[in-house]
Amino acid sequence: MISKAFRTVFKKEVMENIRDKRTMMSSVVMGSFLGPLMALGIIYMTAQMGKDKAEKQLELPVVNMEYAQNLKKHLLSQDVNIMSLNKSPEAAIKDKDHDVVLAIDENFAEDMLNAKPAKVMLYYDASAKGAANVSVRRVRALINAYSAQIGAMRLQLRGVSPNLMQVVMIEDHDQATDQSKGAQLMLFLPYFLIMGLFMGSMYLAIDTTAGEKERKSLEPLFLNPVSRVDVLSGKLAATIGFGLLTLVLTLIAFKLTLPFYPSQSLGLTLSLGLADMGLMLLVLLPLSLLAGSIQTIIAAFSKSFKEAQTYVNLVIFIPLIPSMLLMFMPVKEKLWMMATPILSQNIIINEMIRGEAVSWSNIGISVAGTFLVGMVLAWIAVRLYNKESMLFSD
Amino acid sequence: MIQVEKISKSFGKVQAVKDVSLVAKDGQITALLGANGAGKTTSMRMIYALITPETGVVTVDGINSTDDPVSARARMGVLPDARGLYLRLTARENMAYFGRLQGMSEADIQSRSDELITRLGMEKFADRQTDGFSQGQRVKVAIARALIHDPQNILLDEPTNGLDVMSTRAIRTFLREEKARGKCILFSSHVMQEVSAVCDVITVIDGGLVRAVGSEADLLAQSGQNNLEDAFVHLVTGGEAA
Repeated sequence: MISKAFRTVFKKEVMENIRDKRTMMSSVVMGSFLGPLMALGIIYMTAQMGKDKAEKQLELPVVNMEYAQNLKKHLLSQDVNIMSLNKSPEAAIKDKDHDVVLAIDENFAEDMLNAKPAKVMLYYDASAKGAANVSVRRVRALINAYSAQIGAMRLQLRGVSPNLMQVVMIEDHDQATDQSKGAQLMLFLPYFLIMGLFMGSMYLAIDTTAGEKERKSLEPLFLNPVSRVDVLSGKLAATIGFGLLTLVLTLIAFKLTLPFYPSQSLGLTLSLGLADMGLMLLVLLPLSLLAGSIQTIIAAFSKSFKEAQTYVNLVIFIPLIPSMLLMFMPVKEKLWMMATPILSQNIIINEMIRGEAVSWSNIGISVAGTFLVGMVLAWIAVRLYNKESMLFSD
Repeated sequence: MIQVEKISKSFGKVQAVKDVSLVAKDGQITALLGANGAGKTTSMRMIYALITPETGVVTVDGINSTDDPVSARARMGVLPDARGLYLRLTARENMAYFGRLQGMSEADIQSRSDELITRLGMEKFADRQTDGFSQGQRVKVAIARALIHDPQNILLDEPTNGLDVMSTRAIRTFLREEKARGKCILFSSHVMQEVSAVCDVITVIDGGLVRAVGSEADLLAQSGQNNLEDAFVHLVTGGEAA
């Protein structure tokens, strides 16, 4: 089945691509290392910022603090740095001087005395990014605690048990394990793996088809006494080979960056054992066939290298769709999902990251389903050039 | 030996080639002479079995190229209109790649490459990557690559297009040597001097049709002119613009 022509074309395409150092750097190395490094950076920064805000002394600008001396004592006892404000609370939030501003109502003391709800105003921007919410939450908790404390005292003074106020008590039972908490941060892993795979095979898919047509070497190549299917199969095999290489490198890059994740400060476990890596590779293997074939088909229809690059670049965003969907909405896996390429790989890798057991039947369906689609696309890809109009760019 | 009988091809509504017939014999250089757009490249593409003729038959050493294009191609060495090289491979690697696709052994590729490199004067650049080669160097590599398997039939589409005098002469000399070795050579050209200098038999093509066939002397006699250029113009215009 494997002809000499197939081997000859495969070897030549691999050698030629390896000699092109710039392409190797940009597609294979960048494709595999960029994702893991970017993820590491983002997670590190988020973790650090959240930690800072939660542990640092709370700086709280308060307007009219003099109306609530008792509350002031409470805040000071909780190690809050009470600051004065030289502009309006609205402006302070808008100019991002502070995450949160507290203002005391001028009737606060009087209402307090008459046992009416005393009012304070909390200024903040609910759409603010990052750790601003942490500060808001902390202020809210401090005031609520103060309110509950005074309320309980009032009831006690009147001979009523404060427990009467608490009709229902909620006891939290969070079922997240350390590993599944880690998984929250690792949801992007399937996308980076799949993207790396697409990026790795992209260049050769274009170069061996649209590129060769543009450089006018396709016609002489087809004048050799070998079938076009053999030639295209060799090219496709080389394309898929570089996709696989990038995939393996991406996995290795993740394994290497894993120890640097701030897992302790986030209180979670991230693990990626050799067996897991092997299983991920197995699940993603048939996807490389699909990626290389679909890219080759698109590139073959293009008249020039640039045109092909535009279309094939768009294809890289396809794997983003299921990854994004799964990030924002939890799905219950169904059989059809397991047979759907890209979606099934996303689900299975997510399950593995969460430390759940993945059934072998699901893996089997995913591998078989994707392989089948990949084979159909490959079959089309290697036969495209049997059409005469595909041979010439002019 | 190549026999072409009444081949035709149209693209959409345009009839590019109609009922073209010609014979290219062994030990002869046969020319397909025509202006730009006369149907030369399309005819050549059908003859070297890249595209299939709508009507008619091409036989190469007795092999019908529509029925068995792979065997027919093995009997031919073709320098097509498109002659792109692989820029990240050396001249020698370009040749070896095609040699392997022709099914040659590594030893044969080696010895035949050495022979072609010497005969075409490629010693200085044979082991350099072809990126940045001059036009003449590129054509030499393309010819060597196409003829690596020492085919009986040699087809060249405008081989000396855009070449300087030295390169043109080197290629002419090479073709005469191949003719002396009994090879069948068919080449297309729009350059009268070129055809006049090397060809034994000339087929004049215009508007996709064969207008005249014969040696240079035949064509001059047929048109009543005394140089090939005038004869060509006379033949394709039917004597009106002469």
